[in-house]
Amino acid sequence: MLKNINMHNDLTIAKDLLRIRLSQMIINEKLKNNEFKIPIHLAFGHEAIAVAVSVIMGSQDQLVLSHRNVHYNLARSSSFKAEVDEYLLKKEGLGGGRLGSMNLANREGGIIYTSSILGNNLCVSAGLALAKKVKKENGLVIVVTGDGAIEEGAFYESLEFLKTYNLSSLIIVENNGWSLATQIHERRCNICLDSLTRAFDIPFRVLDGNDPYKYIDILKDIYSIAIKKQTPVIIEVRLKTLGGWRLKSEEFPEGKFINYHAGPAPTIKLSEWPMISEDRSDPVFVLSDHIRLEKLKEISRDVLNKLVQELK
Amino acid sequence: MKYIHYINELIKKTIDKSNYLVIFGQNIAAGSCLSGLTRGLKTNTQCMVINSPNVENTQLGVGFGLMLNGVSSIFFMKQQDFLLLGADHLVNTYNFVRQVNPNVSFTVFMIVVDKGYEGMQSSLNNCADFCSIARIPGYTINNKHDAERIIGEHLVSPGFRLIGVSQRLFPTEILTCDIDGIIKHDEGTIQYCRGKDITIVCFNFSFPQGLGLRNKLRERGLESSLFTVNYVTSPKWKSIIDDAKVTKNIIILDDSRSENLPCYYLLSQILSEYEIKNKIVIKRDFSEKWYHPDAQEFVVNYDAIIDKLMAGRILKRYSVGVNQRDKPNE
Repeated sequence: MLKNINMHNDLTIAKDLLRIRLSQMIINEKLKNNEFKIPIHLAFGHEAIAVAVSVIMGSQDQLVLSHRNVHYNLARSSSFKAEVDEYLLKKEGLGGGRLGSMNLANREGGIIYTSSILGNNLCVSAGLALAKKVKKENGLVIVVTGDGAIEEGAFYESLEFLKTYNLSSLIIVENNGWSLATQIHERRCNICLDSLTRAFDIPFRVLDGNDPYKYIDILKDIYSIAIKKQTPVIIEVRLKTLGGWRLKSEEFPEGKFINYHAGPAPTIKLSEWPMISEDRSDPVFVLSDHIRLEKLKEISRDVLNKLVQELK
Repeated sequence: MKYIHYINELIKKTIDKSNYLVIFGQNIAAGSCLSGLTRGLKTNTQCMVINSPNVENTQLGVGFGLMLNGVSSIFFMKQQDFLLLGADHLVNTYNFVRQVNPNVSFTVFMIVVDKGYEGMQSSLNNCADFCSIARIPGYTINNKHDAERIIGEHLVSPGFRLIGVSQRLFPTEILTCDIDGIIKHDEGTIQYCRGKDITIVCFNFSFPQGLGLRNKLRERGLESSLFTVNYVTSPKWKSIIDDAKVTKNIIILDDSRSENLPCYYLLSQILSEYEIKNKIVIKRDFSEKWYHPDAQEFVVNYDAIIDKLMAGRILKRYSVGVNQRDKPNE
């Protein structure tokens, strides 16, 4: 189920991104219909980084994920049905129906480990990277975490371990500004990742704007630095998890904003053109920087048809 | 030879035979080398010894990460209670890794802090509690025989496990216990001698007291079967149950400070199958002293036990407080 990563060009990158978006929209409809027993954390708005990471990954690179992993799993597997079957806990599923969503890994697709516990996967990625060093294997470990997990002690410990033993790795911090129902300023002091990484002498980059094409170029450079300098590199990806809504109540007659965390996103509906927000917080919107809108819509219709057919 | 030196020799021999092994932990190749436990570790070129930083949570994750990429490792831990810092990995990460079932080894080899005067950190002194949280295979080393068996068979072998050694026993002579030349193994239990009168079973690190009791009983003309339960997770104790069925007298020793003593599972299984004349559980009775620096000795009043047995009394209480005392602070 490993995708052929050498075939990527401008259109396939857009197609991959639209496939991840539309796949999630189909899953979202199924969530609304209570078709799954397990908790699923959708990642609307996170698609650009998932596509970019998947494109730069070589056959010896390893990806380590967290509970919100649907976008990477879709990017690294050519079978949408296998993903849905896993959520249905079928033996035909990507993880044989034994992993569910929050721990879904796919060794064939380079996803070695996925943890539902904040910060847990960073420690394991340090072990994976150390094993590569012991066995003198090529490639590096890419671990995905978030702005909530960097609050955990495991984040600090793992940076220390990775840097101490010169372990090439990319640490992707998806910063959506939220941890469940609290925004960063509501729950903690500011953490200046730039300063923190400088304290460890670890290179640091920020990705912003949801442009998968730019992300790919930057990630390729960062990848080279991590390999050449034998160091971890931290990449903060600033993004917005789409799918939030306003809940009206007596206390909040204008509606209280509810951040999307898990389960169905009630305001998002499946459509042939899957743009959710007409601004740069939506990677689908950003695609039109590179490709004509009509062409994108044509690709999207084609992708949706194939996904629907696949599930039949 | 001292307990600690004997175990150190066995560890070195086992490591010497291993390939692609990462050995890590704090100060394992510096200073006292964990009071001698890891002194003199030498590895071949395919192995690596790491004096790691103080990152216990990460170290446990590292062990599992190494496993997922096909590399065996041993994490030597100065104090068992440090394991608390990585408890998430014992449950969540291990539950993932055991589904993948990599054909490599990860062992956490830890020193149980039970020598006394260590204060609060020593109120947790048994391996079984850690093993119980995720059904982790776990082993305790009491003497020469079980050291050879556990280190030889389990230190480097496919899977994950915890192995505990007793800090209290470090300076003592390693006990040799091939008493009658009949050492017999079940899955997780070891029988050292056979006697028709009494069945003695030792849990955690109580073998020295059990052996002492067996010797005292013999002086008074009573022959005992002596067992240790070395596997703290799901041991098979059929041989103990069969033995107690004959002797009808069972004495269980457990020096753990846990609320959940595995010895009660054994006792309930025995009592569900047949009647016993005398059943005595010698354990630690809770004391506020556990939260303060205290001697933490496990002193067994052999004479009191023997007197009761000789008098033929049927003891109804499971716990016989008079048989055990935690020495007061000096």
